[in-house]
Amino acid sequence: MAGVAFVAHCLLNQNAKVDGGARTAGIYSPLVEELRAHGWRIEQMPCPELAFTGLQRFWAVKEQLDTKAFRRHCRRIAQAVASAIEAHVEREDDVVLIGLEGSPSMGVCVTSSDEQLGGRPTWPEGSSELASGRGIYIEELAAELAERGLPMPRAIGVSHQLPDHDPAAERAALAELLEA
Amino acid sequence: MEGDERAFRVALVTAELLNPPPGGLDALAVLEEEDWGVIQLPASDYPEEVVAPLLDQVAEQTEEFARHGYRLAVVGCHDGLADVLARHGVAPLPQLDPATAEELRAFLSTGEG
Repeated sequence: MAGVAFVAHCLLNQNAKVDGGARTAGIYSPLVEELRAHGWRIEQMPCPELAFTGLQRFWAVKEQLDTKAFRRHCRRIAQAVASAIEAHVEREDDVVLIGLEGSPSMGVCVTSSDEQLGGRPTWPEGSSELASGRGIYIEELAAELAERGLPMPRAIGVSHQLPDHDPAAERAALAELLEA
Repeated sequence: MEGDERAFRVALVTAELLNPPPGGLDALAVLEEEDWGVIQLPASDYPEEVVAPLLDQVAEQTEEFARHGYRLAVVGCHDGLADVLARHGVAPLPQLDPATAEELRAFLSTGEG
């Protein structure tokens, strides 16, 4: 059975990150190396934040993006991606989802949350906005797949923007996902 | 703007060059070596109703990079890409359908991309 990994946009294009967030010049190579080592096809998902709030956007938590307009935008992307996932499910391909932990849009198990943050864009020193849960786009993709009667793929989030990021543990978790 | 590790270079790459067959040109490896980011173009094995909305997303995202002066290039050939980019106000981009890694590397580094 062929394997297809739907990956967060910025994992192949760090230029899409919010200013200050790019960890590499362009491609996050540990993910690509792991996918190639296991023979998986790569499918890049669009970045929900890039076309909506743009390259000059501020860092944001989930509550700041959680509007009906942003969810409509995410759903439009999710519909496009779900159609691609559906095509692979019909071919009986194995499909996985690789998001980005800590992201307000692409978080799989960890998103960012602060019910008080707003107004003048300052970020309190030492604040931790990380919270358990999915990002908005991942929620919309899960809803779109459910409405089509498709299963949510096995999923993981790359953790390179979390403070306790452990590259070896991340590689091991990716390998475990791809070998499951 | 505080700046970060980004290289301000983005290539629109066909899915077939991004997922090459065994022995095929690995465009992703070259783009990584040359510090380019990637926007993947929809694969040719998807039906048209899958390709069209994905291509529309590619154009929206490309327009944002173009508006901010990022260096852009197309790697590979994708029917309909030029038209959808034009509809989103993106000027024609340098393009190469590379046969070898050396050809792609030269294209990316000569400033034609």
